[in-house]
Amino acid sequence: MSGSDEDWLRRWREYFLAWYDEGRVEEKAEEAAEFASRYLDEGVVSVSGGKDSMTMLHIVATRCREDVAVFHWDHGPWLMPREVEEEIRRGIAAVAPRARLIVHEYRLGWSERARWDWEAWYKAFFSTLQSLGFRYHLLGIRADESCRRRARGRVVERRSWVEVHPIYHFSWRDTWAYVFKHNVPVPRVYFDYAKLLGWDKARLVTFFDKEFEKYGSPQLDSVLSWRWKAKPF
Amino acid sequence: MTPLEVVFHLRTPVALGFPWIFFDSLLAHIRLKEELGERYYSLPTKVPMGAQLRVPLKRWRDVPVASVSIFEPQAGLAVFSFFKRGDFPFPRGRVERSRGFFKDYYLRAAYIPAVRVRFYCTGELEEVARLCRKVPALGKERNIGFGFIKRVEVREVEEEWGLVWNGVAMRPIPVRYLKSWEDAAWMAYKPPYWSKKSFDLCAVPFTRVELA
Repeated sequence: MSGSDEDWLRRWREYFLAWYDEGRVEEKAEEAAEFASRYLDEGVVSVSGGKDSMTMLHIVATRCREDVAVFHWDHGPWLMPREVEEEIRRGIAAVAPRARLIVHEYRLGWSERARWDWEAWYKAFFSTLQSLGFRYHLLGIRADESCRRRARGRVVERRSWVEVHPIYHFSWRDTWAYVFKHNVPVPRVYFDYAKLLGWDKARLVTFFDKEFEKYGSPQLDSVLSWRWKAKPF
Repeated sequence: MTPLEVVFHLRTPVALGFPWIFFDSLLAHIRLKEELGERYYSLPTKVPMGAQLRVPLKRWRDVPVASVSIFEPQAGLAVFSFFKRGDFPFPRGRVERSRGFFKDYYLRAAYIPAVRVRFYCTGELEEVARLCRKVPALGKERNIGFGFIKRVEVREVEEEWGLVWNGVAMRPIPVRYLKSWEDAAWMAYKPPYWSKKSFDLCAVPFTRVELA
């Protein structure tokens, strides 16, 4: 990171730390922990490695219980470059060292086909979730992410499990404030995207994924994450 | 073949699909259009074309002696968001464009507010100048106004700067052609730049290298 980037990050850190008090993020985190604790006995915390799921994991692991079950889906190198994936795994281990970590690897993610054949991804992902056998899946979904997510509600009954969203009432500012306040590790690639798109729009999604072509993501990835385009491992 | 400097003066910012624009691919694109005429617009996709085209540039081994773009002033990237309709056949009658199958694409283009784009190459002055005058715009999203060119200047320079300048790589160069390099990444180093066949482990443009 260059000097000007560090200065930029320092100023934003200052802002988010101020927001932590201003936005009463501590109270929201306490409420989220209390809400999550009802579902942990038969539940698993799903962690993608993004800011929201890492925030949720930190809340659960530090305020509810340390030996929580954590599920992480490894998309494979063509969708999630190994550098980022390693950072995510290190982050999970640092936040919840005593967690029971379950990692499933997406086999097709080792083939370039994974970048355009996302139907196969959905099949593999949901059959894996079903095979885990947990009653509750705790996800880091927030209401202010989209109208669709807001409409989903905080607890969603699915056919084989129940989706629970502990940080549902967090805003993007709350999440970043929590990340900076508690030094929650998030992949550094976030900062490149945040600098260009803004903190509210920076999201960790699969890279060069045709599924997100409708949102212009692969084109931005080609400019910001060009190193991982031709050979991501 | 003479060492050349090509400067495109821009009317509008340049949108990018990759951090750099390759000068040799720009000339190859113009040559292909000249060669094929109207047929250019109905080419099969994903089939490398134009391998036999004569581009008036020198080659060092199989690497074109042509630099990547140097944007001036060196401002940071910005993002332009816009909506675009899908390019599939739309049915007759009313369709919902805000959601569902026919939802508009919400695209984001990274752009640089550059006023000049500079390239260095070694080639035939007359021919390079002729081809450059045929370039209407640079970069991506030209159809919505990005990268429009005001004028272009092509002039001779004393030294060959298309490959390496003061120990700095001016374009991707495969590391197998180098004695030492500062930074390397997998990328295309010759046209067609989208084809896997052109990929190799290359020195990253604007990092220090030493040719073997």
